Amino acid sequence: MATFVDRFPEEAKVVQASFAVAFIALGIGALFGVVQALHRTDFLRIIDSVDYYTLLTAHGVLLALVFTIFFLVGLFTWAVARSFDRPLPDIRLTWAWFGLMTTGATLAAVAILAGLFPEIPMSADVLYTFYAPLQAHPIFYIGLAMFIIGTWMAGADWFLAYREWRGENPDDRIPLQAFMVLTTMIMWFVSTIGVAVSVVFFLIPWSLGLIETVNPLLTRTLFWYFGHPVVYFWLMPAYLLWYTVLPKLAGGRLFSDPLARVVFVLFVLLSTPVGIHHQYLDPGIAEGFKFIAMTNTMFLLLPSLLTAFTVVASVEHGARQRGGEGYLRWLGALPWRDPAFTGMALAGLMFAAGGFSGMINAGMNINYLIHNTLWVPGHFHMTVGTAVALTMMAGTYWLLPQLTGKTVYSRPIGLLQVVLWFVGMVFMSNAMHRGGLLGIPRRTAEPQYQNFDFATAVGSVGEIQAQIALGGVLLFLSVVIFLFNVAATWAQDRVDTPVDDRIPEPLSSSSGAPLVLDNLALWTAIAVVLVVLAYTLPLASIVTDGGLLGNSPAFPVSISVQPVVDAALSTLESAAPGVPIDVHSTDAAVDRLTEVIR
Amino acid sequence: MPADAETDTGDVVSSSSGGPGGDGPPVADRDSVDDDGYVIGSGRSGIVRRIDHDDFDPVGTLVLIAIYMAIVGVMWVFMYFVEFLGGDLTVIG
Repeated sequence: MATFVDRFPEEAKVVQASFAVAFIALGIGALFGVVQALHRTDFLRIIDSVDYYTLLTAHGVLLALVFTIFFLVGLFTWAVARSFDRPLPDIRLTWAWFGLMTTGATLAAVAILAGLFPEIPMSADVLYTFYAPLQAHPIFYIGLAMFIIGTWMAGADWFLAYREWRGENPDDRIPLQAFMVLTTMIMWFVSTIGVAVSVVFFLIPWSLGLIETVNPLLTRTLFWYFGHPVVYFWLMPAYLLWYTVLPKLAGGRLFSDPLARVVFVLFVLLSTPVGIHHQYLDPGIAEGFKFIAMTNTMFLLLPSLLTAFTVVASVEHGARQRGGEGYLRWLGALPWRDPAFTGMALAGLMFAAGGFSGMINAGMNINYLIHNTLWVPGHFHMTVGTAVALTMMAGTYWLLPQLTGKTVYSRPIGLLQVVLWFVGMVFMSNAMHRGGLLGIPRRTAEPQYQNFDFATAVGSVGEIQAQIALGGVLLFLSVVIFLFNVAATWAQDRVDTPVDDRIPEPLSSSSGAPLVLDNLALWTAIAVVLVVLAYTLPLASIVTDGGLLGNSPAFPVSISVQPVVDAALSTLESAAPGVPIDVHSTDAAVDRLTEVIR
Repeated sequence: MPADAETDTGDVVSSSSGGPGGDGPPVADRDSVDDDGYVIGSGRSGIVRRIDHDDFDPVGTLVLIAIYMAIVGVMWVFMYFVEFLGGDLTVIG
């Protein structure tokens, strides 16, 4: 039985290479994750607290950008070739974007990790959000820019494939998987404009010293213009797998092709004009603009709830075909011993919980309760950290055999791995949410204060810390097992039938979908109009208030204590002329202050 | 359509024709890759009946979503106590 690697050997190599980069990033990022979990809970401190932020930056960038997006480009390449049933237009273009993305990601990673070595004059401890005035080495920004341009080229590659296919199939509906890829990339093109402007026009010139200052609120806003849609960029590959693969794994068929298309169109329209909801507590943006962002955000619940219905109904269809009966007993008829199915199903379950905590984040008033607390990482470890990451790992068990022609090394180990991830995340994430409600801050190596205790209604801070540490260790173990299973799979010999790779037709097929859904130009135009409506006035207001280039120098800035002491001395002298001032004690004060600052 | 070259209608399947409550036509084992149904991706090999669009009533989905909505509703109400009764108002003016 010919599988993907037999039909598209060149494309399969690109997908394998993309997955390989993704999994290397996953391994390194997960290692840094467990180091952080143990450090900030004070169970095991093998790094200096100053280096915590280097690891935190690397953890965020390697997992949230490199792992997810390299998996995405691999998956989308597979989906485009498979659903158009033709090779990509020019494999050299495909390798070119892979090369550019890999080079960019490597440069960014090197700039971050150099921060661990004081002798190397390079660091990028700016966290995943790279907010100015935190400043990174130019190599970090240049690497990111190359990475983003690589994704644009990948999108162009897939659109060229679409154009070729359309030339030969002028009247056909766009195949569903290709439709999902194209709509996701439209969203990505629209949303990455923000980060591209921020990095290319402000942050790179600023880090090179070509401009002295930036307007931090402007670059922050441009970051979040991109920073919310990027979460859907992570999520859409998971949705693609949930819609087109999960029903098949369950033994059923997708409930409705038209509903799936509607969901992806809604994401094109609504993903971008919402970014300001990450800035509810930013001064300098009027409440009214934040309210508009909140309203748009609440509309985004619609496609997610549509997905909950469609995907669960499709899985139920599989269970019923497998003999499932009753209101809930049908759940027992699902193929729970298949790690690909179980991983995706558990990921979906965790996403439902993440959806609730996301609603809390999205509400302007309720957000104040949890803003910048541990709740927020609790939320995104459920969403990108499980809904997306676990779906990708589970999907790998089904995809890798198609890409290599080799069976998965061990199905039971795979099953253990996905369950371990879920259990680990239940521990870590629920504790993070609860810690956030107590006000425990995020992004800090030492979240403890003298003479202050966080008040708990249920449990204790110690118990919360223990759950976070335990969860972090389980998650790391899960990644180690996953990487072992994947490497062992790669090392196997090829077989004739490595996997059952056929995808059945949807119950309600694309012929029932309104034609307008495939009008990609129309949805792009509406998306751009919505972005213009949501962002023109806030951006104009920010530039008017703070100037295009602002007045904020880079941080960390070198602070000299001497002028402060001199000023104090002269004040004392003018206040009490003639009184001798003990120069030795001021020297001691200077030394002490310098020490504190250091 | 080339895109459908690798798709089928899902009517694959089973070694036990006409399983429990089979309200669709019994289907024969065509090219099942694993009779246990637990090779990765072979959930269809456990299919005992075929259910088409008009025969499918996703009542189990309704139950699950109702449970979810109930949980969300309860937590929403609970949040009222956390935010408004558990402390001072956080939004003023």
